[in-house]
Amino acid sequence: MDFKLSENTTMIADTAKRYLKDQYSFDIYRSVLAQTNHLESSRWEMMQELGWFGLPFSEAVGGYGGDLIDVAMIVSEMGASLCLDPYVDMVVAPGKLLESVDSEPARQLLASIIDGKSAVACGFYDIHSGYDALSPSLVIEGNRLSGQKSFVPNGGFAQSVLVTARRGKELALVHVRLSDCEVNNHRALDGSRMSSIVFDDVMLDDDAIIACGAEAESAATQTLAWLQALDCARMYGAARALYEKTLDYAKTRKQFAVHIGSFQVIQHYLVDMFIDLQQLESMLLMVSIKAASGDAAERDRACAAAKAYFADKAVRIAQQAIQIHGGVGVTEELDVGHYFRLITHCSLSHGAGDIQVERFAALSEAAHG
Amino acid sequence: MYCVNLEFTDEEIAFRDMVRAWMKENVSDDLRRVTARGDMTSKEQQQRWEKCLGEKGWLALTWPEQYGGPGWTATQRYIFDLERAMAGAPPTSPFGVSMVGPVIYTFGSEAQKQRWLPGIVKGDTLWCQGYSEPNAGSDLASLKTRAERKDDHYLVNGQKIWTTQAHWADMIFCLVRTDSTVKQQQGISFLLIDMKTPGIEVRPIYTIDGHHHLNEVYFSDVQVPLENLVGTEGMGWTIAKFLLTHERTTIAGVADSHHAMARLKEALHAAPRFAVPAQARRRIAELEIELMALEYTNFRTVAATDEGRPFGPESSGLKIKGTELQQKLSQTMVELGGLMSLVWDSEEPVGSDQFNNSPRRYNFLRASTIYGGSNEIQKNVLAKMLLGL
Repeated sequence: MDFKLSENTTMIADTAKRYLKDQYSFDIYRSVLAQTNHLESSRWEMMQELGWFGLPFSEAVGGYGGDLIDVAMIVSEMGASLCLDPYVDMVVAPGKLLESVDSEPARQLLASIIDGKSAVACGFYDIHSGYDALSPSLVIEGNRLSGQKSFVPNGGFAQSVLVTARRGKELALVHVRLSDCEVNNHRALDGSRMSSIVFDDVMLDDDAIIACGAEAESAATQTLAWLQALDCARMYGAARALYEKTLDYAKTRKQFAVHIGSFQVIQHYLVDMFIDLQQLESMLLMVSIKAASGDAAERDRACAAAKAYFADKAVRIAQQAIQIHGGVGVTEELDVGHYFRLITHCSLSHGAGDIQVERFAALSEAAHG
Repeated sequence: MYCVNLEFTDEEIAFRDMVRAWMKENVSDDLRRVTARGDMTSKEQQQRWEKCLGEKGWLALTWPEQYGGPGWTATQRYIFDLERAMAGAPPTSPFGVSMVGPVIYTFGSEAQKQRWLPGIVKGDTLWCQGYSEPNAGSDLASLKTRAERKDDHYLVNGQKIWTTQAHWADMIFCLVRTDSTVKQQQGISFLLIDMKTPGIEVRPIYTIDGHHHLNEVYFSDVQVPLENLVGTEGMGWTIAKFLLTHERTTIAGVADSHHAMARLKEALHAAPRFAVPAQARRRIAELEIELMALEYTNFRTVAATDEGRPFGPESSGLKIKGTELQQKLSQTMVELGGLMSLVWDSEEPVGSDQFNNSPRRYNFLRASTIYGGSNEIQKNVLAKMLLGL
């Protein structure tokens, strides 16, 4: 066993940290928050130039052959700086869906995502099916698509969407222009842009159906495993930032003429946060390796465990950060509450804690026979 | 490629298989029955098991080879501990192997090493730890047991408490006050005392698990040879602190918690499904996830040890998280047992004797967040470090 990050991964993490420090700030975050279109093309281009767009994908499909753990380090730094740029939702997610599909349209679309030329969102969920991405209520009949998708992160600038849909008894992966649909944009809990999309008998192009059956299911489950691991990465970065900010605050904030960090109850709260953060880091390393595993049982078990653990402990760290900050912690002008929303957001996306515990119990019992 | 590697190497897997096969041969049925019930071993059982390991050279696992350690990596020790626990063997007593042994080979004289280490390596000498006193619990540095230097001996007077296995032990290592004129911590020394010395009296303390493992130890004009002082006078506190940071790779109790989890899952699956509330299944899944988080945090400490790196901050919480998990596992077993957990001492099992015995372990483990520095003291120490106090 070895728990040291490789030089390459460390370099990627350091670059991400530096880039975000130079190009991003709480003020920029707040200005982005006020906009309905989160495309900031100079920053988006820079991320593409840094190689982040190709990193998650194999060299065989034109990517740079990075590992999930490399991407996780970037996403963790994005969490630490509250960055809302939809790198995960509009590069990693659509790219991963396309990567394993062996067809010319899939290759071309992936290449244009890596080049930064296509803005593609992904729709997994709808209000009827909830988290069950593999049983969508969206239906293909003939060459027409009907139904809806909700909770689709789109940065406010996506041109098209990759969706899971049912065709007969099969799952299908479909690529649709948003101009053909009715789109309702809104803000999400973490400040990112989301949409609800109505597909009203949308006529599909000849090459709109990207994959079907087992190929579509396998693409969707592998992608969701990555996304669950990246939820954890984003929460880890945010939780680490919150712990550091709260520790600083306890050292400087005075009440009763002393630093609040001199009170034992505050000290123990901080220690609890610190210990949980260490455990979260262990779980992040674990899931960053295992969510990319070819062994489906091992992968799903790791994702369920990590997501459940983060939904419990990272959320707890965020709650305590607010508690220790006191009144100022619940204000819009301090970053603490924004991290709190980010962590809550990630704890709910791609399977909330309760769902993951259920899933883990079922997997565990299945393994026991 | 990344370096984070969660798999064991082929050599480590071969090592695991070798240990597993040996455990299968050497862990007797009576030991297996005791641990399956979550019960406590008798003195005879504990000694038999430790001598068996000592004979094989597998008792003093962390020791340098020159003193009788097996020369294993931390990863091998972790594998060994897991195989040991899953085979149903009890953990070994820490007082000789993990505590006084490392103190003697680190701070002791050549004569002390030759005299005491072989008995520990072989499992022949049983040790106990004389730290706590009635008025020096969490505030250990305020201890009052005195050792006055006479011509050829120390004269020891005072009282120790919570002394695990003092009634079994051949030897006790004690923190004693040799100087009351200096700062508390600087007046403490580390003495090795033969339990058969006249003037020592051991009185039992019965605990809520229904067992006798704790004691009070009284010292009245006990004469201890000068050569039984380890290091120099006043070095006791330094030695005690050394022990706190000495070995971190098994402090979390991951191996025995895996064993407890396996028993819990067996019990869960043995019960008719309608008899198990959904909440119980859920709680067990949550505990299994917590165990996973603890295990991977422990792996980081194990890997750091093998790479010769100092422990990172991840090791700080291992005792706290580890003991909390042990308590939750035992509590869940009691709750799963329901009515069967009400049976305290029936000769014949009433239903499952694993459940009949579960409250004893649950009661015993209430002490786990208190002994070895209560979890609150651990947090105080850690807070000082984090806040730079």
